[in-house]
Amino acid sequence: METSTRQAPGRRPHILLLTTADSSYPGADTVGQMHLGYPTNTSVVRIPDPVMLPERFYLYALRRGFDGILVMSSGAESPFQGTYQKLAARLDALTGTLKAQGIDFRRVKLCSICTVCTAAFLREVKRMSEVLAEIGPIDPGSVTVPD
Amino acid sequence: MGASDAAPRIGIYVCHCGGNISDVVDCAAVVQAAADFPHVAVAREHSFMCSDAAQTVIIDDIRNLGLNRVVVASCSPSLHATTFRSTCERGGLNPYLYEHANIREQVSWVHGGQHASATAKAVRLVRAAAAKVALLTAERPIEAPVRRHALVVGGGVAGLCAAGNLAEAGVDVTLVERSPFLGGHATELGKLARIHVTGREVTAALAHVVLADPHVRVLTNAEVVRIGGHLGDFEATVRVRPRGIRGPVEPDRLRAAIDACPEEVVGKVGHGTRTHKALYLLYDGCLPAVAAIDFDRCTRCGRCVEILGRDAVDLDEPAREETVQVGGVVVATGFEQYEPYVDEFGWGKPGVVTLPQLIQILHETGDAKTLTIAGRTVRNLVMIHCVGSRQIDGVHQIPEGRTLNPQCSRMCCTAAIYNSTELRARFADLRVYQLVRDVRTYGRHHEQCYQRASEQRLLFFKYPDHEPPVVSDGLPSDDAPLAVTVQDQFTRGQTVRLPADAVVLVTGMAPGGAATLIEQLKLAVGADGFLREVHPKLRPVELAVQGVMVAGTAQSPMAIEESTAAAAAAAVKAAKLLTRETLSLDPQVARVDPARCEGTGRCVEQCAYGGALQVVERTESGRTVRRAEVNEALCKGCGACVAVCPHNAIDVVGSTLAQLYASVDALTAQEVA
Repeated sequence: METSTRQAPGRRPHILLLTTADSSYPGADTVGQMHLGYPTNTSVVRIPDPVMLPERFYLYALRRGFDGILVMSSGAESPFQGTYQKLAARLDALTGTLKAQGIDFRRVKLCSICTVCTAAFLREVKRMSEVLAEIGPIDPGSVTVPD
Repeated sequence: MGASDAAPRIGIYVCHCGGNISDVVDCAAVVQAAADFPHVAVAREHSFMCSDAAQTVIIDDIRNLGLNRVVVASCSPSLHATTFRSTCERGGLNPYLYEHANIREQVSWVHGGQHASATAKAVRLVRAAAAKVALLTAERPIEAPVRRHALVVGGGVAGLCAAGNLAEAGVDVTLVERSPFLGGHATELGKLARIHVTGREVTAALAHVVLADPHVRVLTNAEVVRIGGHLGDFEATVRVRPRGIRGPVEPDRLRAAIDACPEEVVGKVGHGTRTHKALYLLYDGCLPAVAAIDFDRCTRCGRCVEILGRDAVDLDEPAREETVQVGGVVVATGFEQYEPYVDEFGWGKPGVVTLPQLIQILHETGDAKTLTIAGRTVRNLVMIHCVGSRQIDGVHQIPEGRTLNPQCSRMCCTAAIYNSTELRARFADLRVYQLVRDVRTYGRHHEQCYQRASEQRLLFFKYPDHEPPVVSDGLPSDDAPLAVTVQDQFTRGQTVRLPADAVVLVTGMAPGGAATLIEQLKLAVGADGFLREVHPKLRPVELAVQGVMVAGTAQSPMAIEESTAAAAAAAVKAAKLLTRETLSLDPQVARVDPARCEGTGRCVEQCAYGGALQVVERTESGRTVRRAEVNEALCKGCGACVAVCPHNAIDVVGSTLAQLYASVDALTAQEVA
């Protein structure tokens, strides 16, 4: 777990929502179409599938000041063959790296969000917010990003 | 120098979407901030960016200001990214030098009342879009083959209409109907308001067209059990249950076989008002004109075989599954009739029936001079409107497992009043009382039914929303088995007690029938449980999954004329996609930078699509080198290869790592508000 010296208090946490073009991004749209609310300290990025992201990307995002990252994958129903298993393995490896750097691994969470998973979407954002409330904002200087 | 090679000159356009965005987001502040982003040549706002006038502004700016990149901040890209790419193209700009910022579904609609922080978030998203668009490159779409074949799920009025229209447009159709017979709920309607023909006549006309068309393959007694794929190339597995009867047989022999069948089945026909045999025809004249055996009830006693012979009957026919490959799907799965719960307005008491049941009873009554329900001659009939519709939390006690339905079912008022006038015309001594909350005979010419009801002196009572009528057993003084008590607002809240020989619950349409498609294609469903189109005004009948349309009452309660109109619209939209030789798809494929690639082959190890990625040897500057090579026809653009390249030599077009890093930089340029 991070020590208090690694946190930068007083800053509102910022959550990166990595969404898939086919699944969780439309899911975020569905949340909007239903006029359900979630905090404004969230930023959505749309990609084909998070399996494309190297470990460096997550570390870079944390270094830049994202305090939490929700990897909203398409789960086992991904339109791409085998990506969920590969993604899970990569994030498992990332967890080890975060621990090695003394960063709370709960800052990066893998979840599955479909086009109509509004409750799950809101629940994951809420849980990440709760985690960040508990552990506080990240100290970007504590994150080492490989070249 | 191509547009994407030149120094970026970005135009940013912020949409108010009427007030959908600007009521929450300070659009002027977003524009002001955007004007200072790197490479931004112009930033503007407009009430409706999708309007012709606003698109013309973009086109003029591209031409007059030399823009080579465009960002529009508006609703979801699922609605308008294509629109604005087309705008760019009309301005002479490559459509892939465009980026979209979603500040409606993902800002104003989820952050209502938080003006400052919502505006800050909008600024953040627009900054990220600007950072990404600066790194986009001009691309060409990939041309993919399209299967000129549609799957229509549902053989009711909407499905038949869609199938007929698609076939007429030159598209092959596979129509899958759950029941053994075509026509759906419409076959159980009597005469229809306004056009005065029966539901069976309407469905017969549509079904004859479909059954006679060589481009349409009809699978009855069949259900889609698996479906997947994408626009242009869907694959569905259809399970076809055995029909048991091989083809048309001589009517007298069929009648004898049906009479000989010992198994009675309740409920499949006539909303439970009558029974049929395990061997049955839905009705005389039903289509297909081939009897079916309900194998859930058939005991295989063999009596039908004795009469019809083994050439006509196959009691051992197995269910089968077949695969259908299509380019698009029309969902026409219809609705379920709302079924009252026990004690809801007396439901369960003898003499309390639903409107569909009354229509069936009328049909069975034939030329009889009196109306009989539950064995009793009906002289006083009370209709209670809005049963199962427009429910109010706290007023209507919804049993566990059911959900409150606050919606109006739209069709019930006209159907109830029209059938009441028919009742009055047929049974002169019958008194019909209508207990309404409001009268919503909204459709074209539907109001005439209401006028006719007044002329026929039907009596209307208006009950308050919070005080529904109460159905109880009749007292001896009532001379009727039932009584309905209502607080009548037309007479300033007088309590009126109406003795009734029968009570008709005017029930509406409930969602249902599309569960497999919803689950497997991830179709969006509204809070009311019906399928939700992308946009009711801008993209009606289109579902969010590209290539999937919705037709008829799978979308919402509709009259038959509305169903057929929606089905025709769905068919035209599907045909527009499926009659192309190829589809232009976004070039979301992997691309190798040969200057960086060293042919390690790690990307190939990650690729799940055989042949999409391989390492080849080639000669460069006189020496043999190894380089990864992408087959764009096979690559799906998942990006599994991207993360593992040690030299950052491979990317997915439109979502490169450089673009994503730039987005992260932009999103974190300022602390969140």
